[in-house]
Amino acid sequence: MVMKSSCEEDEGAWGLGIPEKMRNNTDWVDITQDFKASCKELKLGELLHDKLFGLFEAMSAIEMMDPKMDAGMIGNQVNRKVLNFEQAVKDEAIRVKDLTLPELIGIVDTCFCCLITWLEGHSLAQTVFTCLYVHNPELIQDPALKAFALGILKVCDIAREKVNKAAVFEEEDFQAMTYGFKMANNVTDLRVTGMLKDVEDELQRKVKSTRSRQGEQRDPEVELDHQQCLALFSRIKFTRLLLTALISFTKKETSAVSEAQKLMSQAADLLPAIHSTIQYGIQSQNDTTKGDHPIMMGFEPLVNQRLLPPTFPRYAKIIKREEMVNYFTKLIERIKTVCDVINTSNLHSILDFFCEFSEQSPCVLSRSLLQTTFLIDNKKVFGTHLMQDMIKDALRYFVSPPVLSSKCSLYNNHQAKDYIDSFVTHCSRPFCSLIQIHGHNRARQRDKLGHILEEFATLQDEAEKVDAALHGLLMKLEPQRQHLACLGTWVLYHNLRIMIHYLLSGFELELYSMHEYYYIYWYLSEFLYAWLMSTLSRADSSQMAEERILEEQQQKGRSSKKSKKKKKARPLGKEITMSQAYQNMCAGMYKTMIALDMDGKVRKPQFELDSEQVRYEHRFAPFNSVVTPPPVHYIQFKEMSDLKKYSPPPRSADLYMAASKHFQQAKLILENVTSPDTEVNRILKVAKPNIVVMKLLAGGHKKDTKALPEFDFSAHKYFPIVKII
Amino acid sequence: MEENGTDMQTESEQCVYKCARQKLENLLNKSMKIRMTDGRTLLGLFLCTDRDCNVILGSAQEFLRTTDSFSQAEPRVLGLAMIPGHHVVSIEVETESLQSQGL
Repeated sequence: MVMKSSCEEDEGAWGLGIPEKMRNNTDWVDITQDFKASCKELKLGELLHDKLFGLFEAMSAIEMMDPKMDAGMIGNQVNRKVLNFEQAVKDEAIRVKDLTLPELIGIVDTCFCCLITWLEGHSLAQTVFTCLYVHNPELIQDPALKAFALGILKVCDIAREKVNKAAVFEEEDFQAMTYGFKMANNVTDLRVTGMLKDVEDELQRKVKSTRSRQGEQRDPEVELDHQQCLALFSRIKFTRLLLTALISFTKKETSAVSEAQKLMSQAADLLPAIHSTIQYGIQSQNDTTKGDHPIMMGFEPLVNQRLLPPTFPRYAKIIKREEMVNYFTKLIERIKTVCDVINTSNLHSILDFFCEFSEQSPCVLSRSLLQTTFLIDNKKVFGTHLMQDMIKDALRYFVSPPVLSSKCSLYNNHQAKDYIDSFVTHCSRPFCSLIQIHGHNRARQRDKLGHILEEFATLQDEAEKVDAALHGLLMKLEPQRQHLACLGTWVLYHNLRIMIHYLLSGFELELYSMHEYYYIYWYLSEFLYAWLMSTLSRADSSQMAEERILEEQQQKGRSSKKSKKKKKARPLGKEITMSQAYQNMCAGMYKTMIALDMDGKVRKPQFELDSEQVRYEHRFAPFNSVVTPPPVHYIQFKEMSDLKKYSPPPRSADLYMAASKHFQQAKLILENVTSPDTEVNRILKVAKPNIVVMKLLAGGHKKDTKALPEFDFSAHKYFPIVKII
Repeated sequence: MEENGTDMQTESEQCVYKCARQKLENLLNKSMKIRMTDGRTLLGLFLCTDRDCNVILGSAQEFLRTTDSFSQAEPRVLGLAMIPGHHVVSIEVETESLQSQGL
């Protein structure tokens, strides 16, 4: 519909913006009394409606005048006039030139706070665009403010583009809508950074001219001016560095990433100066500590109220200025970490990098930057390597399949090449998805991991077929060699990792109830970790077999040189060790839970509408799509974990003792790890107290207490310290 | 089911009820302007009402009060909106459509 935009003053025809068609020929007739009287005649609870309109449709209506649903209500209840930028300038409510330094500092700081609030998932309309100046930087005459306004728009624009491209956000992470605002697209990036640089230089000159000289009597006014100039200088420079760093990320060369890292370091150096000068900026007139919008010159929190969609209004709490620097410090730290990804070369280490990065629950911007740095334009890893080559390298590193060894007759065999190439091509997409999943927020990851198992199951199937075909070929060419379960082992390894990750993340997200712990830990220790370890050792022996063949071939060439480094550390050694430790931790927790249950120390729900089986099947439902390892059904689980098959059946004390031994074993394994990382130390922090607690419980400590034990997950996300109260 | 004495009364009540219902039904799917207690006006299609005069408008658009010289002429699209009866100040309906219905 075409809206009439002219505005008529007279009250009678309050047809403001009412479609032209309706205004001509039609008169509006007041039927208020008649309507209300007619309504009164309706029966209680009776709805008068069209045949096509039912109670169901009625449910989805938003309720007017309900502050929880009616976003338009808020704007209508304030007493002040809500002015847009042009009106405010005309009314001289805000100035576009001759701004004082405190005003500039205050505006810049508030904009920074708005930017952060936006990055934390609020809409642009309620954050950055509450600043009237960014609505139209063209109108600003003050050079510093104009450059800053353009700069902040560019920062938003690039950040938005990155986040959109990486596609690792959900509605709770990020609002990409721009509400039709112009994001300074008519000015080039280079022009904006140039403008910022000019302002910066100008301010630096002022800073220098007001600097105190030796022996000079310091005029406090000059000193204040000096401090304020310095404050604005730091802010403008920070904006420029942030913008330049983001621009670097849009470039295709990997060198640009290290350039961005350097720029971020420089920006971080400015933060202390920004922090110490926050008090120089003008403050908002209202109390923003309660989360209110800052009301100060240049800001109108309600200016975009009418742009908000007719959904429930969300209140954007603009963060406090004191927290701004802290947030920037962490953001820069995260972006610098992201830059480090280009130093990892192996697909497996890249996957680990993504997992590890995700563990600190990073913000959507850094997550997106990591994604876009990894796969530039969805084609090449870091812009240089083909994903297929990365996968081949990963295969070589993990199982050393003969087909990828240059010393094998399959290497130059056409048919073998076709097989492996098409397999690797098929791997490409699931692995890219897997990496993308690790970019999502923690809660969403779990759900997505459950779904990707289907793709990996298909891949597993293909891997086994290709293995068989390659083995057939190899038997004809080199009968002494094998090509059994090479690719299959590799896919299985990833399958298991995803399944383990899926189960463990449930602890982190606090999804499981205490009475569910025992089967989750059972599934992990008895099943998934057992499979993982056998998979790893199969890969390890496959590597060794390949190395032996290589050595033999080398010795044929020059028999004088004997291979010296016999006792080289196995590449998968660390991972095998860690899996053993995890398995023991899970086994310890499983036995603990069984024993606690025997002692009546696990609260169980009244199963009325469901049963343990229903819950169990729900917990492991995603595993049903996987063929290897086959899912363990509830009945099987009950049979396998039945304690009656032991004679005599263990008592709770025996189980506590066994649990203690598992924790002890985990501790021993971890203490032998050379160069332990933080993860090793975290597990040790859980294992050690649990050894003691289990021994105490085995000795009958507080056996009669009715108090339930506590599970403290503060030391480790997946394994709790058991506390008996 | 009713006592004899009240038969007449119920009959006339029935008539009033039917009349009222007929009136309201004729208004269904007509463009309606409803002014609310806070001065805003909603324009949309009349879809549903009940005894308390709660009204549901479809494809509703929100207009700010006209006295405010700075209010934007642009309406805000709300979609399906329910106006609680006690917030309804006035209701207007398009005459042309009324006449064609002969009301």
